[in-house]
Amino acid sequence: MRRQLSSVVSLLVLAVMAIYFLFPIYMALINSFKTQSEMFTSVLSLPSSLRLDNYVQAFQKANMLRSAWNTIVVTVTGIVGIVFFSSMAGYKLSRTSGKLSHAVFLLFVASMLIPFQTIMVTLTKMAKDLGLQGSPFGLGVVCAGLGVNMAIFLYHGFVKGVPRELDESAEMDGCGEFRTFFAIIFPLLLPITFTIVILNLLWLWNDFLLPVLLLTDFRKYTLVLTINMFFGKYSREWSLILASLILSSIPIVIIFAIFQRWIIQGITEGAVKG
Amino acid sequence: MLNRSRKALLSLILFVAPAFALYVIFLVIPMIQGSYFSFTNWDGLNKSYSFVGIHNFVEAIRDDANFRTAILFTAKYVIVAVVLQNAIALLLALLIESQRKAKGLFRTLFFMPNMLSIIISTFMWVFVFSKVMPALSKFAALKFLGISWLGDPDVSFWTIMLVSVWGGVGTLMLIYMSAIQGIPQHLKEAAIIDGATPIHMFRYITMPLIAHALTICTFLTLNSSFKVYDLIFALTGGGPARATQVITMNILEEAYQRNYRYGYASAKAIILFLIILVITMIQVSVMKKREVEA
Repeated sequence: MRRQLSSVVSLLVLAVMAIYFLFPIYMALINSFKTQSEMFTSVLSLPSSLRLDNYVQAFQKANMLRSAWNTIVVTVTGIVGIVFFSSMAGYKLSRTSGKLSHAVFLLFVASMLIPFQTIMVTLTKMAKDLGLQGSPFGLGVVCAGLGVNMAIFLYHGFVKGVPRELDESAEMDGCGEFRTFFAIIFPLLLPITFTIVILNLLWLWNDFLLPVLLLTDFRKYTLVLTINMFFGKYSREWSLILASLILSSIPIVIIFAIFQRWIIQGITEGAVKG
Repeated sequence: MLNRSRKALLSLILFVAPAFALYVIFLVIPMIQGSYFSFTNWDGLNKSYSFVGIHNFVEAIRDDANFRTAILFTAKYVIVAVVLQNAIALLLALLIESQRKAKGLFRTLFFMPNMLSIIISTFMWVFVFSKVMPALSKFAALKFLGISWLGDPDVSFWTIMLVSVWGGVGTLMLIYMSAIQGIPQHLKEAAIIDGATPIHMFRYITMPLIAHALTICTFLTLNSSFKVYDLIFALTGGGPARATQVITMNILEEAYQRNYRYGYASAKAIILFLIILVITMIQVSVMKKREVEA
């Protein structure tokens, strides 16, 4: 009896929390189909019809395709850079013993404590000096620079579990070092690579402050920046804004729906090891 | 022999150099430059500037009322956010783990906000606070929802917290869930046989055995709450009248909006770094000592 009561109570608490978590998304969703006047008279009720007008308008006015493309450029550049360079470095640092290798690894790890906010002002200047300010590709490169430390840390730990005999036998067969790494070792690092891709995807796709500082031209804006600009521009037209919010969240929700299990696993592992 | 170690060094350099170069250019140099500029009065544009010693630091700590308000507000935010986020995440993890059905559904639901951009999801909340709450407050029973969610500083702190918990608990909950799943079954059974109540179970079995997760999650929340920006930018913009301004916002304002005082902004950024460093170091070393092995 007591057991039943406690399970009812816990289910009740979960249900209340579920309402709290769904509430803003539900409200944004139902109102994104309404006309401005319908929204004013009945915010709480379901839309009278599923008109996609707001979506079409938001899609065009916010130039969603262009901003989505910019976001993809930033994300892909950043992730490819991080995965490529960190896997190489993490592997080698893990395989090499000696003071130099150890010191370099410690440098990478220690830098994980530096908050982005501490370097943002000088980093922006650096990006400007290098001609990386103003382009999504440049932003991706800067992000790769900021992301390598954590990825190296994760690769470093993972490589310890990959038998050394593999390197040695490949070497005996006359395989060059780079080929050994890319043909034999890298495929074995896929699980941790996936974790790293997920963590960085969430960061790069949704990042706000660094893109604000580096992307000065609105034509180069990522989705989040475009939405932010859109919000300022059409601040009274909620139905339009809500449609743009929903629209811009769709890609990441689809990715989540497909890879949910791996994402959850990756995030837990990344946090526990990082 | 020499040849061999030289070859090893060369291959170490070849593999590590690209990542190291990126790291030096975008992390190390900005950090060193930032520390250097924090002792100058550079404005970010002018070629000439002069050394002012620790003047920037003294000014930030002693004379800058806005900065002090920002630090105090951030501190208040950090304390409440760390406690609330962890408490609620742990509660959710325990409740979900105690369910037999619909575990995955609840997990997905509470984790979902973490996938969305903070800016985008916070705009949804802005809609809720500015349009939905007033509509709800027309019902007599929900009259209390008619408060000024974003305009009154006393209220808006809790409004910020409401959104902060909403967006922050997902990852923490996953970490707690995996820690709870890691508790050996025989310990739970032994405790039940010994007649432990659920409260005893939580206090003497669950809590000690998930202490490592508690350390990690506290570290994560401390770190992220000291650096909070997006959420407050999108929700209140730091207002009304800087009442909800956080440190990051204050630094940005100093560097880009007010007087372009790069040197001064750098000093504030270094102060933020030191605060986070010292507090997380203390937190990790204190909490690590309390962890036990299962």
